[in-house]
Amino acid sequence: MAADIDFASLPKQHVPRLVLSPRRIVADVLSKGWVESLIPFVALVCVVAGVLISTDGYFTASNLRNLAQYAADGGLVVLALLIVVAVGGIDLSVGSNFAMSAFVALFCFHILQLPVPAVLVATLATGAAIGAVNGVIAGLLGCGALLTTLGTMITTRGLYTLASQAQLVQISTSARMDDVWDWIGFEKLFTLPVGFWVLVVVAALVFVMFRQTRFGWHVLAVGGNRKAARHGGIRVRSTIFVAYVLAGLVVGIAGFLFAARQNSVGSDTGIGMEFFALTALVVGLGGFVPGRGAVVSVLIGFATIYILNNAMINAGFRGDFVQLSMGAIIILILAIDVKFRKNRHRLLASTYLDPVAFETDAVEGMRGLMPHETAPKLKAAEILAAGQVDGPEDVLLDAAGNIYCGSRDGYLFRIAAPDHAKAEVLAKIGGRPLGLALDREGRIVTCVAGMGLVRVGMDGKVELLTDQTERSLFSVQDDTTIRMADDLDIAPDGTIYFTDATKRYDIENWGLDLLEGRPNGRLLSYDPATRRTRTVCDNLRFPNGVCLTHDGKHLLVASTWECSILIFDLARLSDGPRVFASGLPGYPDNVNRASDGGYWVALAGMRNPVFDQAMRHPGLRRRMTRRVPPTNWLFGNLNIGGVLKIDGSGKVVDALWDAPDGPLYMITSMREHEGALYLGGVTNDKIGRLRLDGADPAWRGPESYWGRAR
Amino acid sequence: MMPFLRGRRREPPAMTLEGVLGPNGRLDEARGMKVDAPDAVCVAADRHLLFSSGARLMALDAWGGEPRPVATFDAPVTALCAGPDGRLAIGLAGGRAAVLDASGRPEDGWALPAGSVASVVDCAFLSGEELLLVDCGYGSGDDLLARAAWDDEARGQLVALGRSGQTRFVASGLHCPMGVSLDGQGGMLVPLLERAGIADASGRVRQGGYPGYLGRLRKTANGYVLACLSRRDPLIEFLKTEHAFVAEMKAKIEPRHWIAPRANPEFSHDFPIELGATRLFGEVKPWAPSFSYGLLIELDASLMPVGSAQSRANGRRHAICDVADWNGELIAVSRASGEILNLGAAA
Repeated sequence: MAADIDFASLPKQHVPRLVLSPRRIVADVLSKGWVESLIPFVALVCVVAGVLISTDGYFTASNLRNLAQYAADGGLVVLALLIVVAVGGIDLSVGSNFAMSAFVALFCFHILQLPVPAVLVATLATGAAIGAVNGVIAGLLGCGALLTTLGTMITTRGLYTLASQAQLVQISTSARMDDVWDWIGFEKLFTLPVGFWVLVVVAALVFVMFRQTRFGWHVLAVGGNRKAARHGGIRVRSTIFVAYVLAGLVVGIAGFLFAARQNSVGSDTGIGMEFFALTALVVGLGGFVPGRGAVVSVLIGFATIYILNNAMINAGFRGDFVQLSMGAIIILILAIDVKFRKNRHRLLASTYLDPVAFETDAVEGMRGLMPHETAPKLKAAEILAAGQVDGPEDVLLDAAGNIYCGSRDGYLFRIAAPDHAKAEVLAKIGGRPLGLALDREGRIVTCVAGMGLVRVGMDGKVELLTDQTERSLFSVQDDTTIRMADDLDIAPDGTIYFTDATKRYDIENWGLDLLEGRPNGRLLSYDPATRRTRTVCDNLRFPNGVCLTHDGKHLLVASTWECSILIFDLARLSDGPRVFASGLPGYPDNVNRASDGGYWVALAGMRNPVFDQAMRHPGLRRRMTRRVPPTNWLFGNLNIGGVLKIDGSGKVVDALWDAPDGPLYMITSMREHEGALYLGGVTNDKIGRLRLDGADPAWRGPESYWGRAR
Repeated sequence: MMPFLRGRRREPPAMTLEGVLGPNGRLDEARGMKVDAPDAVCVAADRHLLFSSGARLMALDAWGGEPRPVATFDAPVTALCAGPDGRLAIGLAGGRAAVLDASGRPEDGWALPAGSVASVVDCAFLSGEELLLVDCGYGSGDDLLARAAWDDEARGQLVALGRSGQTRFVASGLHCPMGVSLDGQGGMLVPLLERAGIADASGRVRQGGYPGYLGRLRKTANGYVLACLSRRDPLIEFLKTEHAFVAEMKAKIEPRHWIAPRANPEFSHDFPIELGATRLFGEVKPWAPSFSYGLLIELDASLMPVGSAQSRANGRRHAICDVADWNGELIAVSRASGEILNLGAAA
């Protein structure tokens, strides 16, 4: 009964391999997490460029090595501070701790004459002990971090002064030499000082800690919201304690490196270090931000401050002038950074929508079938389950005549035959169930926007089949996640073909995809045997309804914004789509089989001359989304829809419309079953049933796919 | 300053439907009387209510009574006013005027020279000898609302017609004047459909920024009532800055498909909607945007709004084109629903 499809004679549909647009690249970059460090990075580049221009030979290898040599202790202290700040605290005692650790290292090495590993252990223990004091008072006892560490800063400084004054002469006159000690202090590894490599390793460890370890995540959670962390079952106090100890330990490493390099301490060792480190941290993080373990940003901030300071001192400026200019430059960087962070989401919102001009084919093949030319046939439809289903985007009937549909709040409903009076919950899925299909075993496979492809058994068991596909080769945005799974159909071999209508918008913003008018969607396939998801065809314009042709060899895919229906040859998917029907009078949604070998096409809305013209004016649409409230955006008419009947060759043969204010308006799906058409709409709360004259009263959808049940 | 900065600063219409103009359903709740193609309404000197129905002029003695025909013309009635001496002036489609004497017989002499005006959308007796006519500048037809929004040319005028047929141009260069009201001190108040303001005869805007596309203005005991054909729409206001788009729309698309204020709330497959107007569960929400609206604004003597009667997006009584104060009750004409409405005592 079904006409053979002459695939090769159909016109080819152009599908771009790559959607390239500068605005989109900007938007995608702005939506990346790492763009948070953009301003500190730009500041670093500016500082480096400024130094390059104003000095001669600053960035020579020898000076860089020199810089790296002295960067280690400052960098480590900044990392220590980052740990404490990330947990929501502050540590003013890092300078005193640094001096004390350095003193302990020298004391153990020169006076006690301990071997170097023992010196290291003792130094780290000192640093950790001071951190532990902070941790006990600020973390376990819950006293304020500022007051606590101010106290330990003064106390430790006092202890350090007392101890170092007594031992300073002895240390400086000690003649002990040790190869390991000197290697740590002066030697180079791969042309860079050992101290610098220590900084690199510690930075990498802290980075991994924040990214990959449970403790690191706990630190960020406690810093982000202490109360929420406690409610989440995190032991807040001990996490803070450990963070302080860890910070003290890192400061201890810095003190050890300093001692090995300088072999002496002075009364001013570590003085002002906490403020230097805090400044670097604030420049890197763009403020005093707890709950953010941005190691790279903080090191960028440190490098900026360090190079700026160093270059100015090298240039021979007076100390007070250096301080003044440093302060001014830091305030400038911070001001720009804070502004940028505050407005990043606005910048993103104003660049995200990226409309393009496109021409919709003129309406054709509708002579005598337009709404004003024919009687509204849907007026004769009965209304089922009124008020019981919230947005049945798709309706599905099994062989027994039970209706299945999804709802806006994530349920899958069954409306039992024969009276179709009451909707009962079959399963709670979540997300937004859209397209439905029955597989060979009689289970329902559904496309759920926001989730992916889901299979529901008749016992209500829900199983997620897939929510990811391959990442496309050229896109800044990670598009592996299936964002808006829309409709599906199942091939005889069991492969599920389904559409991801748009990769750039969520279901609640699907309208923006029309205003953008770009090919953002894709056709995917899922093979239940291998559990593998593939992208069959990328860059389609809102691919929506999917229907396997009667011969089981081709796939129809509605291209909603293009008002056309595309066709794929399942044997040669890589050849791409051809145009099966175009110039439809409205926006096609689901496509389903008809009993006579043709197909039913749901029209979700109607196009009209003004909107078609607006699609040729991308600038207008972009300005409109900026300057007009969303509720007033110009849009296709979604308050009138209908159903088209097309024959096996794609020609429109009939059109079913409702009255302009009738109850069946935005029709997104229809299924033929035993001589009647069942209609669903994504914004409706009812299902329509229209008796069809001359349709095969024995024809049922599932049997046309899987044969009559035995 | 750079022009693109100046463009941004164009002031939007100042008033919104908030405060004293806050949403209500007074028009939907009002008592109504079905009338075929009503347009104008006025109160005769003998306190009858007169209204037009297509080409006929009808009279009503009391609300709830049966209307009786007064006169029938050869073209639709487009304006109506009563003089103090019992005379009635009638504007007819095609830019013609007629005057009936107190007994209802046509009076000779009041004939406009053919082609001197495009339309007569409102009229008022300046004296027993002189009739003031408002010409909006557009011929009869339903696309006045569609065209006015996209037309910068100010071709409206006020013409005084003497009883011997002589004409005197009182004002010209008005942008789509839709009515005239005499303020009792010799001044004229002219509501401008598209400019959302009320001007005087010199064209100077006395009060602007009304949240609607204005129809006729009538004096009441405490001030004025202003009939609005629709409410201002942010999308239309925005498109006024999109000159290329509008030029293409005017060149390529028929006026009935244009984006513009509309008189009729019904959906049509060949007309777009605004995104927020999408029906949910089959219903249009009252707060949805719409190109048609029922709005009647009560003004005080200084033309500031003091109250309103509305029919919102889900209502049917849209396109209020005329209004009258009849024995202390407010009578309005809804072109969309084809009704004369009685809103009860005026505020």
